[in-house]
Amino acid sequence: MALRRRREARHLADARVEALSTFGQLLVAGLLTGLVFALVAVGLTLVYGVMDVVNFAHGEFVMLAMYAGFGLALLGIGPLVGLPLVSIALFLFGIVVYRLFVRRLLTGPPEASVFGTFGLLVLMQGLAQALFTSDYRSVPNPPFQGTVQLGVFALPQAALVEGLGAIVLTAALFAFIEYSSVGRAMRAVSEDRTAATLMGIDVQRINLLAFGLGSACAGAAGALLLLSNPAFPDVGASFALTAFVVVALGGFGSIAGALLGALIVGVLEVLGGYYLSPELKMMPVYLAYLFVVLVRPQGLLGRR
Amino acid sequence: MNATRGHLSALAAIVAAGIAVAFGVHDQVTLELVFTFLLYAVLGQSWNWISGYAGNISFGHAIFFACGAYASGLLVTAGASPWLAFVAGALAAIVLAVVTGFPTLALRGHYFSIATIAVAALVEVTVRVVPWLNGANGFELPIRTGWGALEFADKGNYVLLALVLFAAVQLATIGLERSRLGYYLRALRANYAAAESVGIDERRWKLLAFAASAVMASAAGVLYAQDTLFVDPPSVLGLSVSIDIALIGVVGGLGTLWGPAAGALVYVVLAKGVALHIGGSGKGYDLVIYGAIICIIAALRPDGIVGAIVNRQRRVRGAAGSDALAAEPT
Amino acid sequence: MSALLTVSGLSKRFGSLRALDGVELTVEAGRLTGLIGPNGAGKSTAFGCIAGALKPSGGSVRYDGREIAGMPYHKVARLGIGRTYQIVQTFADMTVLEAVTTGALLHRPRVREATAHAEEILAFVGLDTKRHRLGNALTIADKKRLEVARALATDPALLLLDEVMAGLTPAECRDAVDLLRRILARGITILMVEHVMEVLMPIAEHIVVIAAGKTIFTGSARAAVRDPAVVEAYLGAPIEHGAIGMPS
Repeated sequence: MALRRRREARHLADARVEALSTFGQLLVAGLLTGLVFALVAVGLTLVYGVMDVVNFAHGEFVMLAMYAGFGLALLGIGPLVGLPLVSIALFLFGIVVYRLFVRRLLTGPPEASVFGTFGLLVLMQGLAQALFTSDYRSVPNPPFQGTVQLGVFALPQAALVEGLGAIVLTAALFAFIEYSSVGRAMRAVSEDRTAATLMGIDVQRINLLAFGLGSACAGAAGALLLLSNPAFPDVGASFALTAFVVVALGGFGSIAGALLGALIVGVLEVLGGYYLSPELKMMPVYLAYLFVVLVRPQGLLGRR
Repeated sequence: MNATRGHLSALAAIVAAGIAVAFGVHDQVTLELVFTFLLYAVLGQSWNWISGYAGNISFGHAIFFACGAYASGLLVTAGASPWLAFVAGALAAIVLAVVTGFPTLALRGHYFSIATIAVAALVEVTVRVVPWLNGANGFELPIRTGWGALEFADKGNYVLLALVLFAAVQLATIGLERSRLGYYLRALRANYAAAESVGIDERRWKLLAFAASAVMASAAGVLYAQDTLFVDPPSVLGLSVSIDIALIGVVGGLGTLWGPAAGALVYVVLAKGVALHIGGSGKGYDLVIYGAIICIIAALRPDGIVGAIVNRQRRVRGAAGSDALAAEPT
Repeated sequence: MSALLTVSGLSKRFGSLRALDGVELTVEAGRLTGLIGPNGAGKSTAFGCIAGALKPSGGSVRYDGREIAGMPYHKVARLGIGRTYQIVQTFADMTVLEAVTTGALLHRPRVREATAHAEEILAFVGLDTKRHRLGNALTIADKKRLEVARALATDPALLLLDEVMAGLTPAECRDAVDLLRRILARGITILMVEHVMEVLMPIAEHIVVIAAGKTIFTGSARAAVRDPAVVEAYLGAPIEHGAIGMPS
């Protein structure tokens, strides 16, 4: 009798430990996912902060980067070496898009940027479908297969690399914004465009660089995401949607907010996917967002 | 009331043309395109009330469209008359608008837009999970014919019904522009602080507009369901449906009377019509064309097709000096 | 003469900063009362609390016998208080007539009547020749005039003006004073916040001076200029005494 009770107690204890370790595992996985979202979101919020534009096509830039990474992989260039190449390519792409298109949108009413970037979204998705077809493209012989043991947690290598890559790049971006003269100029324009102009800052050039930088973030994120996700025309849409919620949750224009929001969303998404179901993984995210803006209409760290 | 007479004449002309098409054209594909155009013009106009005039840009408007569509699905499958769906859908839409609008309508700018996405996603999940809404399978309406069943073999009658709805919605919007609600919405959009200072209670007036807009979208949903005879979450609740509606409103011009119709025209004629000729929408060609058109309009006419015209008129009129006529919205 | 607006013991804290620390103020019906003080005295904060934009930390604001402190602005407007803003707030894409009609709709729900009333108000303030101009196509002086017109259209009993003279040329100031006199002639009470005293001298029958968040003088404009506390607050106080809101 006592033996059975002791065994039951041990089973319960084991179950609890297992539940805890599963939860812990999910938490870590969520944080890693969140870090990649952070990279996407930071690019978005940077562009918004500097020029008051939400680039609704941001997800498509990620999609483009994934296809670019895939293309490089076919040429034998691995995703990690390809990452700087893809980021630079997307930076240049962003510059071109800004010069040819986004710059014009800024002269119109605020809705112009909404519908212009939406048009870009539709156009890019259509082009991807027309040029690359709807097939899922995965990198052949992907690196970083298998799992890594970190204490009690078993993490997929790819997720770990993605997370670490994202955190390094986000930190680099943060340092750039904080310490470089261009970064400081961006912050000035973000705070008060008129004052920045009066101080001699070339706002057009800063806009251009900010958009390029935001695109580069999307590019880097795409190259990282390719490690464990296939490329297909709609892939940008789901990442973009999450990125928008992240930015709004953290507060439009706040980079720290984007990071915080991304971690929260990453964790909630992973937990939701496991404890509810994969289709419902975004539900806790949406509920959290609605709850936050009800209490703080400007997001967690947003201004005003 | 010159401007109003002009609008009414234009509306009468469109209705007349629509009747001619409904009775004269027999090519079902063309009739379906005209029907789609009218439905999207209605949906765009309903979106326009809250996003254009009031300035709360919604990316979740499909939830109200779905109210009507699902009302149809439910009632017809249960053996009731589809005509009741107009009432049932409207009631559901009003409740949904008030419940979702009350906490969110005071949010500013993009925060509201993201909230509408969140709300719409939650609504979609609820619909998939609630058993009596048939989850992911949705409703397949049985094939019948006649006015009692609100189903027709010849699409001409659908066009007629859509025309009636379109005319009603346009008349309501003409009325909106000349009403206290219209002035108040425009004031709230133009400058919230100034609007508040003259006694405008944002929540009350925006809820009113939101509920009205929901009812219009719901009516369109009923007609849609009676035409396609199939209602499921992706086809009536998906984010892409909401985005389509928003794009139509924006391309046409926010807060203008004819903007939604113009936007619907672009969407249907150029995107769908051309795509049909080029061959297949699975290849993404319709998206390329549609996307390119939107980008061009955004770059060249950021106020939208009709918006650009309306704004120029108002600027010219203002510069011309005083007018003995009492002012009226253009 | 009955008091239309009574402010007593008004205090407002922003974190650890005491912006207002006991402001007293009475506005008699039918008169023009001026609220002045040096920079940083707390005029804007006091105005915000009275107008309903800011919720005071303490004290009361009684209008027509009713406590209105912290009441949302649209409710306050319904009770008969109209206001203008220090940084003028225009309906950029609405015409002058449409903007004033919007104000008139508060007590005249039918657009036709509201428009007629708006026309009358526009004639009264002198903007009728510009009735179809868009809000963002007006000069600053006209924008301010429009803001006053919009507030007047709501049939206020009390008009709150926030530094309405700021940025106006001397000629424009004279026109503004003339308009204020005509508003008073209509029986509307005015409370004006101003930074510069000489603007108020010709029109204010009653002046309240605040400095460092407190009322330091109440009386006529003539007496204000001679009051030692007022003079010290504006002119002679050494900086370290904190008269202009800087930490000692």
